[in-house]
Amino acid sequence: MADLDTPFRRFVADFREDKVAVGAAVLFVAIFAAAMACAYISPQNPYDLRQLDIMDGKMPPGKASMDGLVFWLGSDGQGRDMVSAILYGLRTSFLVAVTSGFIAAAVGTAVGLAAAYYGGWVDTLLMRTVDIKLSFPAILIALVLLAVFGQGTGKIVVALVVIQWAYYARTVRASALVERRKEYVEAAQCLALPQRRILFRHILPNCLPPLIVVGTIQIANSIALEATLSFLGVGLPITEPSLGLLIANGFEYILSGVYWISFFPGVALLVTIVSINLVGDRLRDVLNPRLQK
Amino acid sequence: MQKATLKAFAFAAALAVATPFAGLPAPAAAQTLTVGVGGNITSMDPHFHNLGPNNNIAQYFFDRLVHFDAQQKPIPGLAESWRSIDDNTWEFKLRRGVKFHDGSDFDAEDVVASFKRVPWVPNSPSSFVAFVLGLETTVVDSHTLRFRTPAPRPLMPIDFAVVNIVNRKNAESPTSDFNSGAAMNGTGPFRFGQFAPGDRVSMTRNDAYWGEKSHWASVTTRIITNASARTAALLAGDVQIIDQVQTADLPRLKQNTNLRLERVIGNRLIYLHLDHNRDETPFLFDKATGQPLKANPLKDLRVRQALSKAINRQALAERIFDGEAIPAGGLLPDGFYGASPKLKPEAQDLAGAQRLLREAGFPNGLKMTLHGPNDRYPEDDKVLQALGPMFTRAGIETSVVPMPWATYASQSSAPTFAFSVMLVGWGSDTGETSSPLRALLATRSPGFGASNRGRYSNPTMDALLNRALQTVDPAAREKLLFEASELAVGDVGIIPLYYQVNLWGLRANLTYQARTDEYTLAHLVKPR
Repeated sequence: MADLDTPFRRFVADFREDKVAVGAAVLFVAIFAAAMACAYISPQNPYDLRQLDIMDGKMPPGKASMDGLVFWLGSDGQGRDMVSAILYGLRTSFLVAVTSGFIAAAVGTAVGLAAAYYGGWVDTLLMRTVDIKLSFPAILIALVLLAVFGQGTGKIVVALVVIQWAYYARTVRASALVERRKEYVEAAQCLALPQRRILFRHILPNCLPPLIVVGTIQIANSIALEATLSFLGVGLPITEPSLGLLIANGFEYILSGVYWISFFPGVALLVTIVSINLVGDRLRDVLNPRLQK
Repeated sequence: MQKATLKAFAFAAALAVATPFAGLPAPAAAQTLTVGVGGNITSMDPHFHNLGPNNNIAQYFFDRLVHFDAQQKPIPGLAESWRSIDDNTWEFKLRRGVKFHDGSDFDAEDVVASFKRVPWVPNSPSSFVAFVLGLETTVVDSHTLRFRTPAPRPLMPIDFAVVNIVNRKNAESPTSDFNSGAAMNGTGPFRFGQFAPGDRVSMTRNDAYWGEKSHWASVTTRIITNASARTAALLAGDVQIIDQVQTADLPRLKQNTNLRLERVIGNRLIYLHLDHNRDETPFLFDKATGQPLKANPLKDLRVRQALSKAINRQALAERIFDGEAIPAGGLLPDGFYGASPKLKPEAQDLAGAQRLLREAGFPNGLKMTLHGPNDRYPEDDKVLQALGPMFTRAGIETSVVPMPWATYASQSSAPTFAFSVMLVGWGSDTGETSSPLRALLATRSPGFGASNRGRYSNPTMDALLNRALQTVDPAAREKLLFEASELAVGDVGIIPLYYQVNLWGLRANLTYQARTDEYTLAHLVKPR
C-alpha cells in the first residue's frame, strides 16, 4: 500500500473518516451542480418576464399554474416558481461568492506574502491597514460601498472583495512568517534565487492548507453576506432575485400565512451554508498538522 | 431584518406608553382615543406647509369656511351659505355664535386676518397662497363677506375648504408659536394639548363646539410611520384606529374578529405617463439591435393604445392589492365630480395589442425600459414588476427599473424628463376632475401642466379645460370636464391603471366614515 503515501490520497483517506463531513461534501456538490445547471433543469426561467404571470402569484406548494406548470414549492408574489427561483438564486450566490473569494484570496495572499517576507515598515504598513479594515463591521463597509456604487452583481463582488481580502492577508502572513525562517528558504536564498521564485514557488505552496480552510469558510460567509445585502435591498436588482431578495420579498407575507416565499429559500440558504461549513471544519482538522494522529 | 427590529421597537415603545395609562379609572378610559397615523406632521401652523398630514391635524383645532364631507363634496363650515352674485363675485354668509377656544367671538375680521396671514408666513415649504390669491375682499357686515376676482373662479368654495381660519390676534404669530401651542386658538372640535414632533399630538374635547361634538374627551394622535409597526400597535391595542393599512397585513386584519376595516375608493389615480414630446425618446429601443429608435413610437396613437391593451388591471387589483384597488379607466373614480361615466377600465387584449403594434410598423415588437418609484405608493415596486411581463407578452420586451422616490421624482420631471414610460400617482386635492386634467394633461404653461411629465399637449383639450375653469354653472362645467377627460384619455395622454382604496383598521366596537381625502379625524370615530 505504498501509494497511500501520496499527500492527496492521505488527505482523502483522512477526510473520509468523518461521515458527517462526507455527507456534507456530497450535499454541497449536489447543490452546486444543480445551481450551475439551473438553466437546463429548472422548470421555468424566473428571470424571463414572458414566463411570469401575476395571476400565478402566491400559489401554495403543489398547486399548478394556469399553463399547467406545478409549483412544487409554491410561487412568489410575481408568479415565479420557487424551485426555479431558488436554483437561479443559488447560482447567483455561488458566482458572486466564488468570484469574490478568488479575487480576495489573490489580493490577500499578495499582501500577506509581502508583509511576511519583507517585514519592517512594509509589514507594519500593510498589517495596520488590515487592522483598520478589520475594525469596521463587514456589513457596514458593504452598505457604504453599495450606497455609493449602486446595485448590481459586479458591484457586490467588489464590495465582497473589499471585505474579505484582509482575512486572507492575515492568514497568509501568519503561515508565511513561520515558513520564512525554515531552512529550505534560507537554502533558496543562499542559492540567490530571485525573490519572486522564493515567494511563489517555495513559500506560497506551504501556506496553502490554511488558505484553503479560510477560503471555504469565507465562501459560506460571503453567500450569507450577499443574502443579507439583498435582503436589505442594496444588493441585486429586484427583477433578478437572489436568495436574500426572495426571503425579503416573502417576509412581509409570512404573518399572513404565505410562508413558502421566505421559508424555502431560507432552508436552501441554511443547508448550503451549513454544508460548506462542515466541509470547511473537516478540512481544517485534516490539514492541521497539530490535530493529526 | 430591519422591519423585524422596527417591529420589536414598536412593541417595546407601545408597552412603555401603555403602562402609565393602566391605572386610569374606566370611564375616563372609555372616552380616550388613541389614533395611529402614518404621515409625519411637520408643523402645527395651519398655514405653514400644504401637506396631507398637516392639513389633517389642523382640522382638529381649526375650521374652514367650507368643509368637505367624506366624499369631498363641499358642505357649510364657518360659512353657513355661499352664492355667486355674478361671474366674478362670490358672497359668503358666516355662521353666528361661533366661539374660539379662548372664548372670543368669530366674525369676518378673523377671515380677513387669516387670508392675510397665508402669504405672510415665512419660510413656507409649500404655501397655501394659490388658494387666496387675487381676491378683492369686501366686508359687507360682521358676518357677510364678498370676494371679487379678475376672472371667473367657480372653484372658490373648494379653494376655501383648504384654508384654515385662525384668530385675528394670531395674524402675525410666527410658526413657532403654533408649534408651542401659544397661538393654537381655533374654533375646531378639539383644544390643543401638546405637540411632540415625530411622536404625538394630544388634545381635549372642545365642549363649546358649534358642530357635532366629539365622543372622545381626550385624543392622542401617535405618528407611527412604519406600516408594520402601525399594524402591530393596533393588534396590541395601543391604538384604536390606524390609517394607511399595508396590503400585506390585510389577511391578518381580516381574520381578527376584534378588528375591522373601513374602506373607500380614494381620489388617487395610479397611471403611466408617456413621453409625447421628444422625437427620439431615451428608453424605447429597436427589438433586434437594442439601439434607441430614430422616431419616438409613443407619438403613434396605436403604440399608446397597444400599451394600454397589454395591461391586466383586474389582475393588479386582485393579486397585488388583495382586491383593495379599483381598475381605472378615467381620471377619478365614478361618483366624483367631472368623472365621465363613459370612461371604463380597458380589458386586457394581448392579440389586439400585437395587432396595433403591427399596424404601427413594429411587427417584431419593441424594447422598452419602464421606470417608477419603489417607496412612494403602496406596492409600487410590485406593480412595476407585474407590468413588465404584461408588456413583454404583448410584444414590448420590458425591463423594469424601480428607484427611490427622491431620485425618481427629480429625474422624471422638469427639466430632465429622463424617462420614456413611467409610473406615477395623482391625488385630486380638490376632489374633482379639473385637478388631474390641469396638472397632468394640460399643455405646460404657468399654472398648467405642472406635473405633466409626459408633456402631452392637445390644444382642443386645453380649450375645453379653460372653458370649464371659467364656467360657474356646475352642470355646464361638469359636461365640459367630461368632454375634456374623454378626449385626453381616448388619445391615451396617460394610461390609467387603478384607483387606490383608502383603508383604516380599527377596533371592532368603533365605526369610522372612511374618507376619500385620506384624512383620519377623531371626532368622526364613533362607538358602535
